[in-house]
Amino acid sequence: MRSDFSCLFAGEAGYGVMSAGSTVAKAAGRNNLWAFVVNEYPSLIKGGLNTCLVRLAAAPLPAHEEMIDCLAVLSQDGMEQNYGRVQPGGLLIADASLAVDSSRLARGVRVYQLPLLQKGSGDVAKIMSNSAMLGAFCALSGFPADLIEAVLASEFKPEVFEKNRLLLRATYELAAQQTAAAVFPLPFSEPPARRMLINGNDAIAMGALQGGCKFAAGYPMTPGSSVLTYLADYGPAFGLVFKQAEDEIAAINMLIGAGFAGARAIGATSGGGFSLMVEALGFAALAEVPLVMVNAQRGGPSTGQPTRTAQADLAFILNASQGEFLRIVVAPGDIEECFFETFRAFNLAEKYQLPVIILTDKYLADSAATHPFFKTEGLAIERGKLADPDWLAAHQPYKRYEFTADGVSARALPGTGGGRHIATSYTHGEDGFYSSGNREYAGSEPEVTVKALDKLFDKEPHILAELEAVRLYGPETAELTLVVWGSTKGAALAGMELATAAGLSVNVLQVVYLSPFPAAAVAAILGRSRQTLLVEGNKTAQLGGLVRMHTGIHLANRYLKYDSRAFTPSQILLKIKEVLA
Amino acid sequence: MSAYDANLDYVPTWCPGCGNFGIINSLKKAFAVLELDLEQTVLVNGIGCSSKIGQYINCYRIETLHGRTLPVATGVKLANHGLTVIAEGGDGDGMGLGMGHFVHTARRNLDISYFIHNNQVYGLTKGQTSPTSEPGMFTKFTPPPLGNVERPVNIVDMAISLGASFVARAYTGNMNQLTDMMAQAIRHRGFAVVDILQPCVSFNAVNTYAWYQQRVRTIGGDHDPSDRERAKALAGIWGDEIPVGVFWREERPTFADSLPQLKGGPLTAQPLAGADISSLMEELA
Ligand SMILES: Cc1ncc(C[n+]2csc(CCOP(=O)(O)OP(=O)(O)O)c2C)c(N)n1
Ligand code: SF4
Repeated sequence: MRSDFSCLFAGEAGYGVMSAGSTVAKAAGRNNLWAFVVNEYPSLIKGGLNTCLVRLAAAPLPAHEEMIDCLAVLSQDGMEQNYGRVQPGGLLIADASLAVDSSRLARGVRVYQLPLLQKGSGDVAKIMSNSAMLGAFCALSGFPADLIEAVLASEFKPEVFEKNRLLLRATYELAAQQTAAAVFPLPFSEPPARRMLINGNDAIAMGALQGGCKFAAGYPMTPGSSVLTYLADYGPAFGLVFKQAEDEIAAINMLIGAGFAGARAIGATSGGGFSLMVEALGFAALAEVPLVMVNAQRGGPSTGQPTRTAQADLAFILNASQGEFLRIVVAPGDIEECFFETFRAFNLAEKYQLPVIILTDKYLADSAATHPFFKTEGLAIERGKLADPDWLAAHQPYKRYEFTADGVSARALPGTGGGRHIATSYTHGEDGFYSSGNREYAGSEPEVTVKALDKLFDKEPHILAELEAVRLYGPETAELTLVVWGSTKGAALAGMELATAAGLSVNVLQVVYLSPFPAAAVAAILGRSRQTLLVEGNKTAQLGGLVRMHTGIHLANRYLKYDSRAFTPSQILLKIKEVLA
Repeated sequence: MSAYDANLDYVPTWCPGCGNFGIINSLKKAFAVLELDLEQTVLVNGIGCSSKIGQYINCYRIETLHGRTLPVATGVKLANHGLTVIAEGGDGDGMGLGMGHFVHTARRNLDISYFIHNNQVYGLTKGQTSPTSEPGMFTKFTPPPLGNVERPVNIVDMAISLGASFVARAYTGNMNQLTDMMAQAIRHRGFAVVDILQPCVSFNAVNTYAWYQQRVRTIGGDHDPSDRERAKALAGIWGDEIPVGVFWREERPTFADSLPQLKGGPLTAQPLAGADISSLMEELA
């Protein structure tokens, strides 16, 4: 029996191919299968080819694959662009109006053409095409139609559901006449625990709400926006205020204001928006105001590719803003890490009083996967050194930026008796007073400058000691170590499994925290590896440069991908074989 | 409290004779008049000579970036709407880099007072044109023979048009009136703008104390600040006569009033732990 099954739903925007895909994924997830869903869409409002790839398996899936078992297609474009992806012996389900060129299909692909497109008036009829497509999909693949119906029933109003159900059933019957019932290769059963179909951005937003985030501000930019949409939608029930700002500069400065006042705050954007925020990033760092910011990468430079993926902002994020200061940069690699690292980000931002940047990308932000409900027991809010009135009474005169061994000084929130101070974007001494040109600091400016800057970096060893900044998967030592960060983790792990199954010895080093850079941990692991293969989604090997800078280790074998699409396990397997050949 | 409570020992670095001295003294007096709790007061300032005011006054203060006072003040106010939030900066800070934020903050009518130290020039960077510079003015960036050829921004007119709910103008040479305008602005619930005419003795040779002294006229007692048309007409007067006083005042709900999340108290007073996200997960199940 096959261990997984993929179907690509494709059609012009407006016909609901993405919801068809997520319906199948949800139905699978509710019945003990695991889905991984990748949406691809151009930056258009109407029209253009949308695709939704649903990969299903009996075990959790960390990534998608390019090759598919089934193509269900509503538009000629969708057909032209995906002929080559259907596996030999696979299934092609196409609207009756499309011209199918069988010579472009692999051996043994079975072709079924049915009336799927609903030509009735208006968008309502259009969007029902996906129900026809689902009916055909169920009949021809063998995916139980009642599982699909159950999902639709829970998502639509009764009248809408009934219309869609009738269409789904009618198409099902029509398709079923054309073939002896196909067998869907995976077993359905009752799942042991509740699961959800969730993407990275939703997981981040949930992590923020779990982390006590009360304020969000932002300006829409794909693929970061959906974090904000989620918080605007669900946040108020958790006491969160979301403010759409006039621009990204306003957004980050609002977050800094809220952070200074004592509210946990988050922003989300993509590279272009982040570019506008960088002056304020340094401000948060120097004023030691906690700040959590999500940068969901898309293709660049400039406006680049709004709806396509890339991992090319790393060097920028690590260095954004003038001067030198410490920031925490975390790159979650999957849904689980999106949730828990976001929760942690708020603790880190407050404990160390600095900016924390959550670096994701379109692939992670937008791809959905079946995931067990998050286990939230034991998650503790840590606010670090907050000065209360009693502490302040015992520590007068209060010095907001007192030089301490760990670089962290007690933070008094406005409104707290005895804590009046100035938080400033100027280089300052312990009292927060401006160092330059003022009589009070005229004699000691060089000393104060050094201490002020050292203070920011004194936090580094404590952060490094606290964080599980790298993760090693697979055997402790292996012939080949894949070195990855961010969303590439999934494909690398699956690639490692394929390699292991092929008798190769491979492990994966994921750098989860890229700043402060866990040099010792990385060096220790790389010191043990015979060979390495750097896998990242950019042209200039940005993580490779970082590893070299911090450890002196040159990662010579590189698989760099910057074609606007994510890595897949099979592609990584090919590279592994190349290196180990 | 007395004005003295707001004092700090630091010595201001403003040039002798700078209008900023009058502004800081008036602000301290306004604090005293209002008997403000300084522990509950946040002063947000930008960057510039004017913006240094935060360095010399003893309440909670956040000294931001050039032009970014209002978004920071917005964040402070939304996080803890129980605080008294005052934003201060120069005409360059607020009408140059900060112009976009000014436009939108006024629309929002947050309960913030915004005091613009308007010296019609960039002081801290040593004398360039500001968005409020007079046409024909010679500055480092608009040298003779041409001088400044752009039309100045009319802060009062713009604030009224954009939706600020209290708009006044004052002059540093008349500290009692300035104190009164500041106190009224702070007391006002909503976005309150005070355009403060402030001579820069080092870089503005046109708009000097003597120049203002001849022109500044207090708006007559017959003006009704709820008369929008009249307020706009007054705002249009600038030249031989420069009206000062309250131009426009309107009571309308503030941005924070419209947020149900704030009804139970400030965001900063809400518990952080214990959020139950199970309903969110159910939604995706
Ligand atoms: C992003 C940025 N651009 C430029 C500057 C330099 N800068 C400092 S103060 C200032 C102008 C200040 O003018 P104004 O706001 O009118 O205040 P004044 O000094 O006249 O009181 C400028 C351009 C800066 N600090 N930051
Ligand atoms: S340069 Fe002008 S504004 Fe700045 S301190 Fe001197 S007089 Fe005041």
